[in-house]
Amino acid sequence: MSEPSIFFSEVNERQGAFHRRSFLLGGFAGAGLLALGGRLAHLQILEAQRYQKLSASNQFNFRLVPPPRGLIVDRNGAVLATNRPNFRLLVVKDGEHEPGETLKTLAHFVPLDEARQERLMREFERTPNRTPVSVMEDMTWEQFSAINVRAPEMPNVTADMGEVRVYPHGGAFAHVIGYVAKVNREDLTETGPNSEPILLHPGFRIGRQGVEKAFDLDLRGRTGARKIEVDARGREIRNDTAGDIPAERGKTVELTLDVDIQNRALEVMGDESGAIVVMDCRSGDLLCMVSAPSFDANRFVRGLSTAEYRALADYERRPLLDKAMSGTYPPGSTFKMTTALAALSAGIDPEERIHCSGGWRFGGRTWRCWRHGGHGAQNMHDAIKNSCDVYFYQVALRMGPDHIARAAKALGFGQAFDIGIPGQRTGVVGSTDWKRTQVKRDPTWHPGDSVSYGIGQGYITANGLQLAVMTARLANGRKQLNPRLIKSVGGVEMPPGDEVPNLPFSQEHLDYVRAGMISVANDRSGTAFRQSQLGLGDVLMAGKTGTAQVRSYDGVADRDSRSVRWGLKDHNLYVAFAPIDQPRYAISVIIQHGGLGGATAAAPRAREVMRVALLKDPEIRARIVQPMPLPDVTDLPPVGVAPEGAVAAPPPLAPGEPT
Amino acid sequence: MTMSALSRPGERDRLVVKFTQIDWTFAIALCLLAGTGALMMFSVAGSSWEPWAGAHLFRFGFCFVLMIALALFDIRVWFALAYPIYGIGLLLLVAVEFVGDTRMGATRWLDIGFMSFQPSEVMKVGIVLALARFYHGISAEDARLSWWLIIPALMIAAPVLLVAHQPDLGTAMLIALTGAAVVVLAGLSWKIIGAAVISFVAAVPIMVMFVLHEYQRKRVMTFLDPESDPSGSGYHILQSKIALGSGGFFGKGYGLGSQSQLNFLPEKHTDFIFATLAEEFGFLGCALVLALFAAVIFMALRTASLAHSHFGRLAAAGVTATFTLYVLINGAMVMGLAPVVGVPMPLLSYGGTVMLTVMIGWGLVQSVRVHRYTEVTSGKGAFV
Repeated sequence: MSEPSIFFSEVNERQGAFHRRSFLLGGFAGAGLLALGGRLAHLQILEAQRYQKLSASNQFNFRLVPPPRGLIVDRNGAVLATNRPNFRLLVVKDGEHEPGETLKTLAHFVPLDEARQERLMREFERTPNRTPVSVMEDMTWEQFSAINVRAPEMPNVTADMGEVRVYPHGGAFAHVIGYVAKVNREDLTETGPNSEPILLHPGFRIGRQGVEKAFDLDLRGRTGARKIEVDARGREIRNDTAGDIPAERGKTVELTLDVDIQNRALEVMGDESGAIVVMDCRSGDLLCMVSAPSFDANRFVRGLSTAEYRALADYERRPLLDKAMSGTYPPGSTFKMTTALAALSAGIDPEERIHCSGGWRFGGRTWRCWRHGGHGAQNMHDAIKNSCDVYFYQVALRMGPDHIARAAKALGFGQAFDIGIPGQRTGVVGSTDWKRTQVKRDPTWHPGDSVSYGIGQGYITANGLQLAVMTARLANGRKQLNPRLIKSVGGVEMPPGDEVPNLPFSQEHLDYVRAGMISVANDRSGTAFRQSQLGLGDVLMAGKTGTAQVRSYDGVADRDSRSVRWGLKDHNLYVAFAPIDQPRYAISVIIQHGGLGGATAAAPRAREVMRVALLKDPEIRARIVQPMPLPDVTDLPPVGVAPEGAVAAPPPLAPGEPT
Repeated sequence: MTMSALSRPGERDRLVVKFTQIDWTFAIALCLLAGTGALMMFSVAGSSWEPWAGAHLFRFGFCFVLMIALALFDIRVWFALAYPIYGIGLLLLVAVEFVGDTRMGATRWLDIGFMSFQPSEVMKVGIVLALARFYHGISAEDARLSWWLIIPALMIAAPVLLVAHQPDLGTAMLIALTGAAVVVLAGLSWKIIGAAVISFVAAVPIMVMFVLHEYQRKRVMTFLDPESDPSGSGYHILQSKIALGSGGFFGKGYGLGSQSQLNFLPEKHTDFIFATLAEEFGFLGCALVLALFAAVIFMALRTASLAHSHFGRLAAAGVTATFTLYVLINGAMVMGLAPVVGVPMPLLSYGGTVMLTVMIGWGLVQSVRVHRYTEVTSGKGAFV
């Protein structure tokens, strides 16, 4: 190849080829740029809206805000469960910062020991990315501000203010109200209210027991949301308050309980184990339902340590058990009104006297009366007043179990009431049918079964609520009252307990039995005379003691259970109502393994609680403070020593009278 | 200054005259593009010159002066240095193979004490110079179809294979396409072009399956179906498209692009700066910038066609082809039309190496313009 540039035509030819090809390059560039422009037009003009939506969903996030949980108040509006502000420390796993390192840094500002850090690290492993984990609750203001000042250096840490459930009355309502706790994996469901994403919020708490559990959905309220701008790492840039959806507070649940009565009831229980239930004899409202010993529900909100939980669970007096509803006990002598009503209904003449010599031979053994020396000849009124066992042994044997079971059921035994919260155990109401179907190893009803049935032992158990209902029904004297615990939810009144059919007993019979109860507490010879004096003038209390044995007395020389260990001591019971003329309140007291008599262990406590209930009632107070007409001292019969029948049985409530 | 004055012997060699011969419209267009880049960097940095916008303008200023200086170099100097530059570039690429720095799995950098640089960038200009130099020496007939063409084929293949081995597929492709552009511009037979295109298209699937690295193959696959993995590898493409599309016709406004400001857009100041622009200034702003690019490309092509020397024509057109490829590939990538390859938008994107390469190229183009009447001859045949 020689020097090409000297050939003019050659050069021209090369130039021409280049020009044609450079036009092509220009065309290629132009076409390419036009294609880009077309693509831009497609994206930015035709599909702009779609991408704007995608951009907005990138840019904005809704952060769920847990709603303030609804209040729980007593019948007068006193707060039983509320929320208080809580400075929380949250750490989010963002895939960028090592949570372990963050915890070490945080340990300089808040107490976070090694064990706690390890526990949190395990929680971090379980938690998905970007879900915050609560590292500490209830920081002090100093800790909160110390962390907040350093927030810019720790982008995965937030210190914010949440709300935490608080029960101002500690243990008094623990069994009724229950408590809230962190959401477990088992709580989450695929559908329904427990599938909502708010449950994953570290500040969210779910109702675990009692009212908190039963009305959880009402109390929860409506989840709110904060519209926030986030960056690509999901970090919050700013809050668009205009786009926020406010959270709605949950509904207020109003209980029929009374905070003063409830607190006093827990107080008088002292260290004893048992239950006190107070019920309004006209409306059926429960004013008090206490189980003792109790526990501080606030600790459950925070989360119990294993040691704390074990201490509660292992204590033999069972603080976690609601003895008012879930503990069933033989009613003992408090059942004698039922036996008496059954006997009256079965046609047994109440004036017929049965001789009590302190024991009764039947079926090859001696059935002892609680009084060694015996009561002598007893009619039904005396037998109730003196709680004579021999009388009721024989009456029960004579009429058989089915009469007793019918009366017991009419008075509320063996029944779970719809009071809005779960957990009632129905107990046993024995009958021939029941024994045939339920007791596999011995399906026949033996006459001996009837004998102990008559004094509330054997095939009869009841919980504190049932005993209160029985007493309230007797006191009401007309209606088959149902208990009510929830007064209203979100302002909507719940059905009352007095829209019920009448009791299937004749008025005369009910009056008779009630007169017996009045004598128990107001005759000097009544079993609980001394312990039943309210000291409220003419406002008097009627009652019935009960002592239920938990061990067989066969071969036991000394029945006094003061010396045996706690688990073998007798249960002590007392049921009562007041005032005797126009019954307002019924009460049942169970002292589990009290080891004393019903009059000694249970009646004074019943009296104390009853006094509080009565003194809170404006009508009763008006009666007490009323200036009395100048008394003619000589004419006034001394209370309690009046002959039988001198204390008038309360007149039954007239139909239509407000209850 | 009149044409007659210019035609006086020696007049064109005066520096002042050379200075006036530079295409200042073209230079202003470059400044506008670089300024737009700085504007966007200022925005994504949260209205701050730090860390990108200031440095970008400073670098551009330096490179601009360099371009003017290079424009004043006689075209014959470029001609004489064509093969040496190519040769040095090739040596450096070989050196990288043995002593290069490995960063992020690729050996691209050569540490020369005070700075490190990528020899592959030298090759982008080197390949244009060498091919132009080669075609300057052969006839149109030989350029169309002859055994001589083995030489340009080898000249292209050597750097392409070396760069691809680093591996830096984007740059290798750019060098290959630039070389191919020069070969085509020099008048390669259409039959060969057709055959090459067909065999390339046939080879692509094989390349994808057997030659590419895993991460490269993944990129291609995600490109074909970006929504398949929106938070993984498809993230770049998807977020870029969201940024573009959400800009709409007028854009979200300066400094208000949520995609770029909130870091949803990756590489918002480098490879994806065009998406930032599109989000904040919309279709209108994009169209203006694309028009600026078009103006730059066509002014450069016009410069090429004005040159009297075949070397000058091919060198200028070759540089223009490289620039065009940069713009089109980056544009297609940002708009989701091509896989994500590390090709920046020239002048707009932050990054010193590419800026330097591009501006040296434009220096060559302006040198061709300034010396368009200069005859380039070498008395001793094609390879001297």
